[in-house]
Amino acid sequence: MAVNNSVLIIGGGIAGIQSAIDLANMGFQVCLVEKSPSIGGRMAQLDKTFPTNDCAMCILAPKMIEAGRHANIKLLTYSEVLAVDGEVGNFKVSIKKKARSVDEKKCTGCGVCVEKCPWKVNNEFDLNLGQRKAIYFAFPQTVPKLPVIDREHCAYFLKGKCRACEKFCEAGAIKYDQEDEIIEVEAKAIIVAAGFDLYDPTPLREYGYGRIQNVITAMEYERLSSASGPTAGELKRPSDGKIASDIAFIQCVGSRDVRSNRYCSSVCCMYGTKEAILAYEHQPGTKSTIFYIDLRAVGKRFQEYIQRAKDEYNVTYIRSRPGNIELNHHTQNPIIWYEDTTTGETKSLEVELVILCQALIPPRDIQEMASILSIELDEYGFVKTPDGLSHPVDTTRVGILACGCVHSPKDIPDSVVQASAAAARAAEILSGGT
Amino acid sequence: MTLEDIIKETKTYYCLECGKCSSICPISRHNPSYSPRLMLEKALNGFEGDLINDQELFSCLSCYNCLLRCPADVDYPLFMQKVRALASAQGKYGVPAHSGTLQSLMRLMSNPAIEQRRLEWLSDEYRISEKADILFFVGCAPYFESVLDFKTGALDIAKDSLKILNALGIEPMVLADEKCCGHDLLWTGDVKTFRKLAEHNARIIKESGAKKIIFSCPEGYRTFKFDYPHYVDLDCELQHITEFLAENMGKGKLNFKEAKKKVTYQDPCRLGRHLGVYEQPRKLIEAIPGIELTEMEHIRDESICCGTSAWTNCDAYSKQIRTERLLEAKATGAEMLITACPKCQIHFKCAMVSKGEERGPDVEMDVMDIVNLVASALGDNGSE
Amino acid sequence: MSDVRIGVFICHCGKNIAGVINVPEVTEYAKTLPNVVYAEHNLFTCSADGLSSITRKIGEYKLSRVIVAACTPRTHEPLFRTACEAAGLNKYLFEFVNIRDQCSWVHMQEPEKATGKAKDLVRMGIAKARLLEPLEDVEIGVTPACLVIGGGVAGMSAALNLANQGFEIYLVERDKELGGLLLNLNRLFTSDSKAEEVIVPLTEKVKNHQNIKVHTSTEVKGVAGFIGNFDVTLDQKGEEKKIKVGTIIVATGAEVLKPVDQYGYGDKSNVITQLELEERLNNGVGDEQNIVMINCVGARIPERQYCSRICCMVAIKNAVLIKENDPRAKVWVLHRDLMTYGTEFEKYYQKAMEKGVRFIRYSLDKLPEIVGNNKVKAVKVYHQLMGKEIVLPCDMLVLTTPLIPHEDNQDISRMLRVSLGEHGFFLEAHLKLQPVEFATDSIYVCGCARWPASVPETISQAYAASAKAAIPLRRGYIRSEGITASVDEDKCSGCGICVLLCPYNAIESQSKDGKKLAHITTAQCKGCGTCGAACPSGAISMNHFRDEEILAQVEALVI
Repeated sequence: MAVNNSVLIIGGGIAGIQSAIDLANMGFQVCLVEKSPSIGGRMAQLDKTFPTNDCAMCILAPKMIEAGRHANIKLLTYSEVLAVDGEVGNFKVSIKKKARSVDEKKCTGCGVCVEKCPWKVNNEFDLNLGQRKAIYFAFPQTVPKLPVIDREHCAYFLKGKCRACEKFCEAGAIKYDQEDEIIEVEAKAIIVAAGFDLYDPTPLREYGYGRIQNVITAMEYERLSSASGPTAGELKRPSDGKIASDIAFIQCVGSRDVRSNRYCSSVCCMYGTKEAILAYEHQPGTKSTIFYIDLRAVGKRFQEYIQRAKDEYNVTYIRSRPGNIELNHHTQNPIIWYEDTTTGETKSLEVELVILCQALIPPRDIQEMASILSIELDEYGFVKTPDGLSHPVDTTRVGILACGCVHSPKDIPDSVVQASAAAARAAEILSGGT
Repeated sequence: MTLEDIIKETKTYYCLECGKCSSICPISRHNPSYSPRLMLEKALNGFEGDLINDQELFSCLSCYNCLLRCPADVDYPLFMQKVRALASAQGKYGVPAHSGTLQSLMRLMSNPAIEQRRLEWLSDEYRISEKADILFFVGCAPYFESVLDFKTGALDIAKDSLKILNALGIEPMVLADEKCCGHDLLWTGDVKTFRKLAEHNARIIKESGAKKIIFSCPEGYRTFKFDYPHYVDLDCELQHITEFLAENMGKGKLNFKEAKKKVTYQDPCRLGRHLGVYEQPRKLIEAIPGIELTEMEHIRDESICCGTSAWTNCDAYSKQIRTERLLEAKATGAEMLITACPKCQIHFKCAMVSKGEERGPDVEMDVMDIVNLVASALGDNGSE
Repeated sequence: MSDVRIGVFICHCGKNIAGVINVPEVTEYAKTLPNVVYAEHNLFTCSADGLSSITRKIGEYKLSRVIVAACTPRTHEPLFRTACEAAGLNKYLFEFVNIRDQCSWVHMQEPEKATGKAKDLVRMGIAKARLLEPLEDVEIGVTPACLVIGGGVAGMSAALNLANQGFEIYLVERDKELGGLLLNLNRLFTSDSKAEEVIVPLTEKVKNHQNIKVHTSTEVKGVAGFIGNFDVTLDQKGEEKKIKVGTIIVATGAEVLKPVDQYGYGDKSNVITQLELEERLNNGVGDEQNIVMINCVGARIPERQYCSRICCMVAIKNAVLIKENDPRAKVWVLHRDLMTYGTEFEKYYQKAMEKGVRFIRYSLDKLPEIVGNNKVKAVKVYHQLMGKEIVLPCDMLVLTTPLIPHEDNQDISRMLRVSLGEHGFFLEAHLKLQPVEFATDSIYVCGCARWPASVPETISQAYAASAKAAIPLRRGYIRSEGITASVDEDKCSGCGICVLLCPYNAIESQSKDGKKLAHITTAQCKGCGTCGAACPSGAISMNHFRDEEILAQVEALVI
């Protein structure tokens, strides 16, 4: 890779993709590194996005394809950053490109290998609600369209058996002996767009996640609701597959809470509302109850979205943070105990399904990433941009910028703005500015 | 201390008014007008008079459910405790049960001129020492039973605790001038008397040279561990007897004979949520061959309070709370409910007693303290 | 015509289309239509293998026209056009048929009829495709300079970033000083830095930058030209100046609503807005002991539904500053939801609580009431969560009001031919993925002109706008679609109706061999179709939407 005019972007979600496209369109060379087998990030897991209710994949896929095709963007997927040396204008980065066991020059993306593979594994993209094969595409629209062999679950790698994928691959692209590669990249600036993980509500035992089957997380809901998800878009509740038509959402799970994270996760009030609207669209008449403390709808058209939810989609908002969830053993219905703070009554609400609106948290490997990059994190573990009032995308290390949810939880428009902002800063740096 | 000081100390100002405390409070579940959140709001919004004059100020069980769940880091039980002190200074003390007899006794104890027949119940069967590293703190419940003929079963707790310690070869100190730990007085706002009792106990324990204090009552244990340090200086290791026994089980010194019983276990508020001791009692119970431990629906930090605290504001809601808990115990199919706190035992048994014109018991269930269970299952021990 | 070879690709779109429409049936049907030499259906035509299938089949079957029946051209047309180009097929020989938004999504309960309609739509698409002709995009050169309208923190940040990238910038500000709203502010959340510590250094850098020409006391009077080539007329106190730029960034900010006649504002002497409080705090804090702040005044009401995003933080910040100055002062913030979103704001809210600021929630149906004659002496508020009315003593009542768009947004909107949204803020091209771009190329928007934003958010948006503006500036050209209008000079009567109607001023009357004729500047034409519809002689036709193409579709449907 040429040293001149190149930027390394870590993270191939919507923010990383946007930054990459902007810089590439400006004429810079971009290397986009993504640790999973495809770019797309969390947005690929969503069903629809607020407040337009655009289908997430429909607006994301064109950007993914553009990033995949752009002459100025080199995609390094299924790759991780190992070390960063040097300084602004002259970073030297070691990247481990993990072995897919598929020869990318030969593979056509036809998918026969996946079809013929006899081994099923829990699908992490679907939050383990569904299954995938040992050789798989994370989702149908991956970029690059290359499958990957999960060596930890592949019969060939575990026991030396099967080899069905190799047998059926007409292009001869299966390469069991493929090895991880170390690639050295030089860049003048680095943009961190590593995204977020989601709070696992298991420690909040009062909500019964893990104990009560019909208490699920918001991301599990997104996968159930997605047409490409494990139930083909039907809101089948876990205990009996019944389509839930009386559901409840609990906000601030894992956020605004000294027991987990004190910050506010910014987007959950809106995505909870969105999911309630989607439930009604899937099954007209569905009743949704959303338990909240402050209803944070601060963006463009957000207040109107909430109003429509109330007026047209049978959504009721109750100002309360439930104390605990019990179980009706006969029906498997969750029973929510709460105090309606506007009336002072402590009561219970029995519903068919409870969705915990979990907080956005820093990616699980962020400590490691921060130490490789020698950048500081804030007290919550997000990437610190110490001078927000003048340099909102600059980290504590000169030449390294941050954007998107790795900086702090935010919605898609704000992530995209920050991503373009990081691109502009990188362009400024590459033009000799500071 | 003013109300503003209390707000600062207990971080009440962080309250998000979310209602999580109210919805998890056992009293709120039964008493529609009770709301911890509203109490805090009264404090924050200048309704001090309303707060202090509210009789329900003394209904809180300090069970710690709210503290464990509060997302805003508000220490509601401590808030309650301190506001009760303000109320008490204005002559308010809630509605004491049993005509206030027990509170009066505790207050009488604080008068150094009055002597107690504290160890009258102690027979030669139980071996104690004049001087030892370990001190067994008996607590008031056994004493009241022995002195008032107030048959609660608490006396057997003291006796069986000694029996077990002796079986382990331990002859602890037991102080004749031991006084009430002060728990109930502190929690009903009588800080002055509490301080006197604390100072007394601290003095005699220091003089005794004890290094470790073992409690069979979690209320005493909690008080010594969390409250005493604010008032007195006492540097001893503290343990509940179940913690001590669980540690000493594996050393091959405690032998059990078989006892065929299906039991369930009530995590007391003080031992569980306050002190974090959940596993040791279970380990003890399961160590007895033939005992089957079957758990209730709400256990460990979700355990439900026995319904009354500090012998105060004991009413129909208290009975509802404990009846429901007894029904939960019954639903496990267990023959016996094992408790680890004399108060739990007293209150559960009380719920089952038919008193005059009151309706008869709703539930019948054997209740026993864990030391009673352990003592009854003791086999031959070498040190006998 | 008979040698036209059409390929049809029908998409399942997962279950979005296939869940309602029988896609294989529609595919088989397509094969029966004249000129269709190939038809296939895919699970997701937009996936990389779907696209490469299109490219491959064009070569294999020598296709000369391609139809994709799938979702919406709004998001996916460029994708499929590119797939055609990759096979060497002119991208305008591609036709998109929408069988999702216009079929499966709206007829979810009638799958048989929907399948029938999908067949009709595909037949119509094929009818048009037969008549499609290749077109060329227009490459328009871009003047290498950028105009930034508005010299606040947004405009200056954008200008500086682009200037540092080496571009020539004109920064126009109608006030006599640069700085915008920040000049009137005291301190900024969440670091409580003085506003001047942010705005003064920024202003200095801007003024001293050799690439930035600053014009204060200047307004934009007129914008002529077309994308990438704007001729802008500036007006500085009556003196006109003309500049040429390639890109424009709108950073005109917003203003604070003055809540006239609400809660005694304008009438009682101690009722002020948060902005007025900032000005007072700037001059040293007063000695009021009881301060009541009412949030959401004029916002989140039926007449103005939106939430102004940053005002809760403004109120809380000012409350904290008052308390820090005098801990004995009592400050109450009356609110209807506290919008302290994110990591920093929620933490600042906790700080306010620690300092003793008290928060009272009220509801829209029981508004607070003021008590007092010349001055407000007390505020009665119904505490929604206590179910009680509380009377708060009050020395100063501060009303937290929203940011509202400037009145003259209308003028800029007209001059630049960009849209305003329903609340009067500028409307971006796409709410999710194009937040700082206008639907019109080479014009961008950032900061509070678009929507209320905090300083860090504003600067991020300014940089984002710079990134977008830098693209055409660096490339040197913009590609404009080949879908433009063209005049048949034989038919043109020179009536001049089209000249009057064209919203983009792309048509002028020209003399040719003594005859008056309409002349369209292709680069300026947006292909809107107004002229084509209006022309009485039928002399104007719209490329890619010619009369014969549209009529063919109608025939295919009804005959």
